[in-house]
Amino acid sequence: MAKFEVLAKCHTTRARVSRLTLSHGITPLPTFMPVATQAAIKGLTAQQMESLGVTLILNNTYHLNLRPGVQILGEAGGAHKFQGWHKNLLTDSGGFQLVSLSKFTKITEQGALFESPFTGEPTMLTPEESMSIQHAIGGDIIMQLDDVVSSMTPDRARVEEAMERSVRWLDRCITYHNNSGKQTTQNLFAIVQGGLDSELRDRCLTQMIERKNDVAGFAIGGLSGGEEKDVFWRIVKQCAERLPDDRPRYCMGIGFAEDLLVCVALGVDMADCVFPTRTARFGVALTHRGPVNLRLAKYAYDFEPIDPDCPCPTCSAGTSRAMLYHVITRETAAAHAVTMHNIVFQARVMGGARDAILNGTFPDYLRTFFANYFADFGYPQWCVNALRSVGVDLLEGDSKIKVNKGTGAKWE
Amino acid sequence: MLSFTLAAPCARRPRTGTVRLRGVIEKTPAAMATTSRGVVPHLSRDQYNRAHIPWVHIPFESFLENNPPVPTLQPGPFPLHTFLGFDPDAHILSLSLRDPADGRETPANGAQYVAASTSRGVRRVTVADWRGHVHACKPDIVVAMPDIPWTNPPFSQKRTTKSIERTVSWLAHLLAPDPPLNILVHMAGGVNERARRAFAQSLVEPLDGLEAAAVKPLKCLDDGIIGYTFDLVPLRREIDVEDADKVSALLQSSLEPLPPTKLRVVISVVSPHQILRLIRDVGIDLFDVKWAQDAANVGVSLDFVFPVPQDDSQQGRDLGHNLYRSHYAHDFASLSTAACTCNACAPVVIKNAISHSQLDAHIASAPSGYTRAYIHHLLHTHEMGAHALLVLHNLAVVDKFFDGIRAVLARGDDFTAHVAAFAAQYDESLAIVNEARTMWKEVDVARGKGRIARERD
Ligand SMILES: [Zn+2]
Ligand SMILES: [Zn+2]
Repeated sequence: MAKFEVLAKCHTTRARVSRLTLSHGITPLPTFMPVATQAAIKGLTAQQMESLGVTLILNNTYHLNLRPGVQILGEAGGAHKFQGWHKNLLTDSGGFQLVSLSKFTKITEQGALFESPFTGEPTMLTPEESMSIQHAIGGDIIMQLDDVVSSMTPDRARVEEAMERSVRWLDRCITYHNNSGKQTTQNLFAIVQGGLDSELRDRCLTQMIERKNDVAGFAIGGLSGGEEKDVFWRIVKQCAERLPDDRPRYCMGIGFAEDLLVCVALGVDMADCVFPTRTARFGVALTHRGPVNLRLAKYAYDFEPIDPDCPCPTCSAGTSRAMLYHVITRETAAAHAVTMHNIVFQARVMGGARDAILNGTFPDYLRTFFANYFADFGYPQWCVNALRSVGVDLLEGDSKIKVNKGTGAKWE
Repeated sequence: MLSFTLAAPCARRPRTGTVRLRGVIEKTPAAMATTSRGVVPHLSRDQYNRAHIPWVHIPFESFLENNPPVPTLQPGPFPLHTFLGFDPDAHILSLSLRDPADGRETPANGAQYVAASTSRGVRRVTVADWRGHVHACKPDIVVAMPDIPWTNPPFSQKRTTKSIERTVSWLAHLLAPDPPLNILVHMAGGVNERARRAFAQSLVEPLDGLEAAAVKPLKCLDDGIIGYTFDLVPLRREIDVEDADKVSALLQSSLEPLPPTKLRVVISVVSPHQILRLIRDVGIDLFDVKWAQDAANVGVSLDFVFPVPQDDSQQGRDLGHNLYRSHYAHDFASLSTAACTCNACAPVVIKNAISHSQLDAHIASAPSGYTRAYIHHLLHTHEMGAHALLVLHNLAVVDKFFDGIRAVLARGDDFTAHVAAFAAQYDESLAIVNEARTMWKEVDVARGKGRIARERD
């Protein structure tokens, strides 16, 4: 089983620093997990990822089950060996992609019924099947199959049904997992559902926390579907407050720096998102002063690196914005360069949070981040609200700070 | 300045030598990597630094999209190296105006300019422009601007004569009177042996009068250059360059009047077989390996060695593996049968990783080599990492191939016999690459065009 040690807590917010020891090494938390959908971080090798100081990545079960499939992964000796990644790995349940990528998906009590992309045959993904696939992949953390509904679903009865079913499916996952013999090397996480309804969330939390002894961690699911940010953070806060102290908390599908820091302040330890790697391929580099869109002509003659203080291979080699402008969206190597930078940016944001929490300076760290990142754009109102709820007033002592009521992220 | 010394000064072919520039030493015959928009395709800087091909060729024309071209404003002592991210202590950069691999029809050149092709249309570049760009970018080696007609062949004798005259005059312009450059000259004259000989002749003719004054103290143009380039793409538009004897004859007609001591570069060979023949018959020193890079681009991992081991003769074997083929899905062998030390087959141990907090304590993994099955998976899931790993591998196979060539030549073995054995062992038609290209295109069509366009999700 995983070893999870909380090392320090922020004196003001609910943020904490911890150490998660899994079968493939130690991952310090809070951390951001880059997404290697098809057993590869777009264009980068496992060694490049390791050199960036990343110790935990995510693979998508839905995709790996289609290609290469569990048989080949079995022949390879698991997904770690297959992709040459010898650090920690998390797999999702496959349910989310099934619902979002399949043409036909019908949820029944037994599982999710979908059309096989290969044969067109109706195929069933049950909680047991999801466990079995994830066992074959061999991730250090595996996720329960949950009944996923969009956070924007207006139908409360459907959200309630999905929440209750997710609890029942958790039980089936636990039973299967605990009988598999894999529970010593692979760690099952539960996923809290309940949409944007705090009462449903509470009921879900109560039931899932009862199963704490059978799970290694908890995820907060069903968010990041386009809901109001002020609703988003309140649900995250509610979940993080009730989830047990001695289990890691994973907020699924978030990746903007401000979202990450707010969630950390609310007590979240882990997050994942395709955003930093996807946006890199479109030429957007993330920096502490906000995103830099390298496709803009204003960078054509800019001989500075993306961020002169960044330790990533791209910036430390002095690669200029001008050079990146010349090759971005034309050469894959440009995507690799910006992808490495963005992964390092995410890791720096989270690493900086770890240090600040350890040093007792996390509230200052938040203030500095927002001052650098949002000075011109204005602080997002929802971030101000969320951080106030855990005792940090970003606007305190400076009446000149602009506040941005919009919910959109800063962009260039 | 660059120095090139032959191991045995009299030997015209085949031959070995050494190129020295700053701290970089390149033993010849050797390989040269090619670039697209200044980048070795698919390799980030940290990855290219782990490949062992020191000589990189840069076509300049994509930089003409901006005026002034961006690298010409790059500060520092090595502007081109700095801009593109090559280490001056490890990499030799040569620069040509046009991409020598691009054989598409282009509007006619003028008496004073070349029509260069960019993604934003055609740009006219005068010899004075070229000189300015070169002095601003400071490449290690520059290819003098040649007048190669890119209009529809065949070309009249008049056009060929004009091409020769312009190429000579533009070379003279680059030679005078500024600080010395390492200059390579395109061997003009097209597919006419007499014209090629006449062009070469004009390089060694003693100059007089104004011409001599302009390039003082050089006695002839050849004194100011380090070597010759032979571009196969323009020849391919007019003759069948698979006709090895014809190509050798054309190249030799250029070399006849010239001193044997200078570097000989061939651009756009298509196979290792062709490389071996040109070394054997013409004494070529340097080849671009775009063909091997292109093989990686379409999913082929090269798998061949020179010399062919005595105990291993299998006629007509493929030069590599088309990793799109379905049986590779279950093949967990490394990318080539022959042992390979590239960063895909034997990844370096990451001793130092970036530390993001005081808690981060890096423990290096013991890396394992990537398998055919993994690359097969990446190719079929349209993951661009496949090509990065294949380029690393193919460059290493090619590097070893040249090691083998030099070793055979150094030992004084019967090179001709080894070339014959290689030709019997490996399929020269590159059927495997063509097959892979077809499968690559199918994937491409299925996912939208372009390398990046298919990375949208
Ligand atoms: Zn960077
Ligand atoms: Zn290799």
